Amino acid sequence: MKRIAASIVALSLLTACGSSPESTDLEENRAGAMESYTIGAQFKATAPITFDMLYSDHPNYAIKNDWLFWQELTKRTNITITPSVVPASDYNQKRSLVVSAGDAPFIIPKVYPPQETPFVASGAVLPVSDYLDLMPHFKDKIEKWKLGAQIDTLRQEDGKFYVLPGLHEEVWQDYSLAVRTDVLQELGLAAPRTWDELHTTLKAMKAKYPDSYPFSDRFAIPDPGGNLLNMIALAYGTTGGWGYHNETWDGQNFVLTGAMPQYKAMLTFLHTLVAEGLLDPESFTQTDDQAKAKLAAGKTLVISTNAQNLVNDYRPLLKDGATIAKIPFLAGPAGEVKGYTRLESGIMISAKARESKNFVALMQFVDWLFYSDAGQEFAKWGVEGVTYSKDATGTRILNPDVDFVGLNPSGTKHLQKDFGFSGGNFAYGGTTELLNSTFSTEEQAFQQGMSTKTSIPVPPPAPLTDEEREQATLWETPLKDYVTQQSLRFILGQRDLAEWDAYVAELNAKNGPAYIELVNKARTRFADKNK
Amino acid sequence: MVSRRIFHVVNGVILTAVVVVTLYPFLNIVARSFSTEEEILAGRVNIVPRGFDLTTYRLVMSDDLFWTNYRNTVVYTVTATIISIVLTTCYAYVLSKKHLRGRGLLIGIAVFTMFFSGGLIPNYVLVSGLGLRNTIWAVVLPNAINVFNLLVMKAFFESLPAELEEQAAVDGLGTYGTLLRIVLPLSKAVVATMVLFYAVAYWNSWFTAFLYLDRAELFPVTVYLRNLIAGATDATSTGSADTDVAQVAANIKAVTMVLTVVPILTVYPFVQRYFVSGVMLGAVKG
Amino acid sequence: MTTTRRPWRRDWQLYSLAVLPLLFFLVFRYAPMLGNVIAFRRFRPGGSVFGEYWVGLRYVTMFLADPGFWQVFTNTLIIGALTLVICFPLPIVLALLLNEVRIRSLKRFVQSVSYLPHFLSVVIVAGMIGQLLSVDGVVNALAGTEIPFLQRPEWFRTIYVSSEVWQTVGWGTILYLAALTTLDEELYDAAKIDGAGRWRQTWHVTLPGIRPTMVTLLILNIGTFMAVGFEKVLLLYNPLTYPTADVIPTYLYRLGVVSGNFSYGAAIGLFEALIGLILVFSANAISRRTVGTSLW
Repeated sequence: MKRIAASIVALSLLTACGSSPESTDLEENRAGAMESYTIGAQFKATAPITFDMLYSDHPNYAIKNDWLFWQELTKRTNITITPSVVPASDYNQKRSLVVSAGDAPFIIPKVYPPQETPFVASGAVLPVSDYLDLMPHFKDKIEKWKLGAQIDTLRQEDGKFYVLPGLHEEVWQDYSLAVRTDVLQELGLAAPRTWDELHTTLKAMKAKYPDSYPFSDRFAIPDPGGNLLNMIALAYGTTGGWGYHNETWDGQNFVLTGAMPQYKAMLTFLHTLVAEGLLDPESFTQTDDQAKAKLAAGKTLVISTNAQNLVNDYRPLLKDGATIAKIPFLAGPAGEVKGYTRLESGIMISAKARESKNFVALMQFVDWLFYSDAGQEFAKWGVEGVTYSKDATGTRILNPDVDFVGLNPSGTKHLQKDFGFSGGNFAYGGTTELLNSTFSTEEQAFQQGMSTKTSIPVPPPAPLTDEEREQATLWETPLKDYVTQQSLRFILGQRDLAEWDAYVAELNAKNGPAYIELVNKARTRFADKNK
Repeated sequence: MVSRRIFHVVNGVILTAVVVVTLYPFLNIVARSFSTEEEILAGRVNIVPRGFDLTTYRLVMSDDLFWTNYRNTVVYTVTATIISIVLTTCYAYVLSKKHLRGRGLLIGIAVFTMFFSGGLIPNYVLVSGLGLRNTIWAVVLPNAINVFNLLVMKAFFESLPAELEEQAAVDGLGTYGTLLRIVLPLSKAVVATMVLFYAVAYWNSWFTAFLYLDRAELFPVTVYLRNLIAGATDATSTGSADTDVAQVAANIKAVTMVLTVVPILTVYPFVQRYFVSGVMLGAVKG
Repeated sequence: MTTTRRPWRRDWQLYSLAVLPLLFFLVFRYAPMLGNVIAFRRFRPGGSVFGEYWVGLRYVTMFLADPGFWQVFTNTLIIGALTLVICFPLPIVLALLLNEVRIRSLKRFVQSVSYLPHFLSVVIVAGMIGQLLSVDGVVNALAGTEIPFLQRPEWFRTIYVSSEVWQTVGWGTILYLAALTTLDEELYDAAKIDGAGRWRQTWHVTLPGIRPTMVTLLILNIGTFMAVGFEKVLLLYNPLTYPTADVIPTYLYRLGVVSGNFSYGAAIGLFEALIGLILVFSANAISRRTVGTSLW
């Protein structure tokens, strides 16, 4: 282990000087690798190789050893994957355990940054940024899609990054609100486009159906208002819900999210909704099943959704001519904005892999499967002629007997369950064309609407040192807990917004400013070092 | 006599209340397992199935993996219970001998482990280092002795009349003979209890298997079940919206629950026999 | 020499029975305990299992100085104590009531039903609690109120402890019923001849008869009463109820998920273990002096 660490240090010194190390250093590690592997090339190992990989097993399409995916992958690339199967329900815990115990497979997928940071200091995971020359497709997409600034947010204190993220051509916003369109029609209203218009719509709904809360949300566990607060915070120019960070980038500095005036404005708006009986107070604590039950009973008219929820969860529940549709992402005081991130969860490579004689082949393989157009199409759609075919215009169509996300309801076989394609371990990211290819027309229209919005700026990297992080985590969790808790109390009217100043003082007592100072210090330090 | 009757009435009322309160949720789950998803979510299913529907049962039962995992659970439970009973009985018997030198130390060794444990990573490294990963031994060995059960059993052995064993010694039985021929036959109630405790614990346990097994065909059914019903809370630590979060239909959860709980419920009455009727009486009197 | 050799010769068969169990404790319990050294060493996930370098009492002082820790420590104590006080005696009462039932089939039926909740997964139980206690749920309907119970910190302990009672009471009777079977019928006959009614028989024969079981369980419960059900709290609480609901394991879980801060967790774990050990030793000593029964 020491030897790897030493070689990594040596490597990093080399890269710091701007030279590419692998030509000399990787001679021992080229077994099975292709001599010339370039953009557009089909990766195929020169000899059969087996790689082990951590695998998140999804209950809806449990892993099968006879999937066409495995067979075809081996046929095309000469690589066999040995999956370490982990139930999706507790995937993160097991991943953390096997990596911590030094027992991790080479390929560790489904890592949501910053989940990789705890493993950086020990040298358990590979600084993948040192080996990008082995990954032409990855590099190409970063350049072509101008993802440099986004990638920078992954950089650690040493200037390297340790996770290979999923890459998107454009910002992909899947989540929005679903509204009962038959009720809109009945009231003669158009779908709202801003949060203020939503307010008006909800009032009209309440006037017509005074006995229920028109808006009752789901996604409350574990982050209350996960989607709702995420969306509305964006529209108000701050962060919340799933997207919450203790620090928000205001263009010049990181500031304490929970104390921002924008954050207060957002809470005020939501409190109004609750106070007027428009937003169900249980929205922030109920389970998804409870929320769905209210929708099924016709009590709820507005609820959070993504494309799949709409088709799989909501529509089958509604009866008697009730209809529901996803509405465009709502705008707010911050304008017609959307999030900035075009990175998705990604892959860590175990540091042990660097010692393997097949290391170069591994990186080439990962590059092909996860980042080449051909690999991404394969992981998502399967094998042409078997699972899908292309028409004259190049549009992919599922074969008649194959179903996926309800595109082919009469199909007897399922693209995920029976063939192993479009599963969460291998299929994500990619071109907008590929992403849209499995969307229904209504979803494509929604995405069309998203593409006209502007992204908020990407925050600069502010990586903490190992020691700083240890301190920061003890501040961060209590701080986040407190902001969440008090936000809910403000929204639900359990605490008067007139007490805002007292609340800000409480945040200060919980080390809010100290934390922000730490982050800003890290930001300037990183900027100075990487001028 | 009047007070006696009042007592029986009150007792009946209390026990009826216990039955109702505990039975209701269970009947509810059984009813859900036979109902359609829409009826469940609309909150119309109480203790009678609505929109009677067996497709979910067919769906779950046609899954080969479910049965493979089920068989694993049975194998793991039986093996582990046998090992546990043997080890626990031996040690408890030793600890129950008050004259034994070093008994305090032996008890201390066990009790100490109730409070101090190793934490996840060292345990994982150990099991992995012993080469037990992906074998049945990773599931059955690490928790072979439950100290709580051990102490209960020890207390029971201590309560046995000393004359019995003195008699055994006179008859020329050694320690092994006494334990096997005299003590164990008198301890049916406690052994039955221990079998029940261990078996149920192993039947329901998922965490050890989750930690040390990496192949779906080795999982016990609890890991399968947990992946189904806890899947919705998966976003826990991702901290972001994951479109891949499991949304498993409410009736699938119910069906799998019913199928997992039923066997242990059917085994129970056979075990229960031993502590509904007095076992000691015959032995002591005869 | 002879004095030490004699017990060995007499009891070697007994000692031989202890070999395998001792091996078990050594390998699967004591060996991993060495890992606790990371409470005093800096552990980096993926680095050495025994940590990188000594940091002394850094993690101990860290949690001692963390106001968040003391908050969850207090919560843990309160919930643990309430669970102990309420969940310990109820199985005894239920077992005695069951013991009075003379119709055997009825007794079996009630017993079988009463342990059902023990088999329900915590996820399912939490789901049911959520439904029962929602604003339009059964409880509010019966009480004619509209209280969002799960959002109110002052209700959390009641909810948690009631659900514990519901889940554990039936199952808890098993040990007592097993103990009851060992009672000698002759003692009851003697009591009857002395003119004792059912109450006095219960008081003078039944309760003393199951006292060893009661005391054993009580001491064990006291020693482990800080082990509050992590998963259940995790599924039942939310940020609004953190002030009463957040306990040590859930707090560590939230801290740990982000940071992989195993050293901090190990330090707190040792602290908890120490408390448990002190409690069980005191309970044992008190019990030995007052009622004469003890764990060792």
